[in-house]
Amino acid sequence: MSSAVWEFKDRCAVSGIGNTKFSRNSGVSELVMAVEASRAAIRDAGLQSNDIDGIVRNDADRVTHNAIADSLGISDLKYWGVASAGGSAVPSMVGQAVGALLSGQATNVLVYRSLNGRSGTRFGLSRAAAGSGDAPTVVGGQGTLDEYFQPYGLLSAGTFYAMLAQRHMAEFGTTSEQLGAIAMECRIRAHANPNAMMAGRELSLSDYMAGRMLSSPLRLFDYCLETDGACALVVTTTERAADSPAGPVLIRAVAQGMGPGIQAGRMNTTLMRETYTTWPSAYAAKTLYERAGLGPEDIDVAQLYDCFTITVLIQLEDYGFCKKGEGGPFAESGALGLGGSLPINTGGGHLSEGYIHGLNHVVEGVRQIRGSSTSQVPNAEVCLVTGASPPATGALIFRRAS
Amino acid sequence: MSDLKGLHPNVDDPAQAGFWEAARRGQLVIEKCKPAGHVLHLPRGYCHLCDSFEVEWVPVSGQANLHTFTIVEHQVHPNFPAPYAVVLVELDEVPGVRFLGNLPGRPELSIGMRMTVTFDALSDTVTLPRWVPAQDTVDSSTE
Repeated sequence: MSSAVWEFKDRCAVSGIGNTKFSRNSGVSELVMAVEASRAAIRDAGLQSNDIDGIVRNDADRVTHNAIADSLGISDLKYWGVASAGGSAVPSMVGQAVGALLSGQATNVLVYRSLNGRSGTRFGLSRAAAGSGDAPTVVGGQGTLDEYFQPYGLLSAGTFYAMLAQRHMAEFGTTSEQLGAIAMECRIRAHANPNAMMAGRELSLSDYMAGRMLSSPLRLFDYCLETDGACALVVTTTERAADSPAGPVLIRAVAQGMGPGIQAGRMNTTLMRETYTTWPSAYAAKTLYERAGLGPEDIDVAQLYDCFTITVLIQLEDYGFCKKGEGGPFAESGALGLGGSLPINTGGGHLSEGYIHGLNHVVEGVRQIRGSSTSQVPNAEVCLVTGASPPATGALIFRRAS
Repeated sequence: MSDLKGLHPNVDDPAQAGFWEAARRGQLVIEKCKPAGHVLHLPRGYCHLCDSFEVEWVPVSGQANLHTFTIVEHQVHPNFPAPYAVVLVELDEVPGVRFLGNLPGRPELSIGMRMTVTFDALSDTVTLPRWVPAQDTVDSSTE
């Protein structure tokens, strides 16, 4: 493969970001929130809605490209794309925008994610039908492979990640206290962020350990929040972004990664892979660093997907910040703090800011490079943003324009 | 386990039906390709190593070790009252081939412990393989 195919390095940028308030009950539709966040991002980019000619949405979003283009009054949308799956696809939403821009299919691409994740469909509850009366409820089939999992009560992400955490503990000696260090670090960042749902709610290690066991070994504060809210960004060429009020935040590189033996299905089938304590994140990382011409030692700040604390811990290993199995000691070493070698989730993350399915991590990554985070890392020039794993995943690196 | 209302597996997917037919007979099977016997798990009806659609269901012993587990304490579905354990086992004779199972309550479990298969007839047409600690085999027989 010629290196020429990688030369999108720094050629596209984020020119605008926006978000709604994060809450437990927005009181409005997902479409209205998507519009609010998008309008904020478009204004932030110094544009009008009709300047948007491309849209990338997430397959988990109920707000379609039609709906948002119509609401915004976009008169001549020329490109739309859908990234899959869910939170694992968020960096690659930006990647699709880059592809559309550099192939000349669009000039300003809107990327959004909107969900009433607390007042509407909750990720914390099983979406398998409950059935009624005496007839059994049948699950799986049609290639889903759910029939090998759901009849045994593997019905929520928390149960699934708990099984990964249990195995990581057995293989490497990872402890609850190490997971707690991640929860506490995100909470401290949330205290500085007025839009964070958990701002001001103190979390000590004893609070963490006293948290209700939800699915062993994961406790209440190992779980992310369920949130109503939306985030959006405008992606354009670096040249065009130079005219935006806040200036360009360069997209140094994006990458997706899968690895061998991925298994069909979305998440539960991960348990059938050769290993489920090393993730597609490791493959995304390798490609990402190659494309960026950077390595883990160059990352000043990271927004690591944190649906659960264990998700962060395993990514610390997969993205090369420590060796496989050493995520626990690394997490409790202080490295993740604002003065540490790898400050993470500086808005509070999904664990303590809100769960906008990864897109609030992208917005926060832009803020770090602009220098406008509520927990600003001094002189942050390079920020890593990752998507959910162990599903096949993606990641991106933002860089400050020199 | 039949006192749990639970969820029944769809046994009609043409790519998976052989597994469920065997379970009804009280047999645990895995899919292999005919040309070279490559293990195809989870079943997918095609072997990329042989570029072959010639596959077959091969019986395996129901002896396994516990690969990981969790005790679900927080109920997320009306048909699954907490607490219960979800277990993942790996077959002794085919390392890397794993199956899910569950157990009621908060059983004493540790990774690596011996597990063995049982067959739970949920209806005349649907039998669900389950996994129990090996020493419990006789007590947990559903026959």
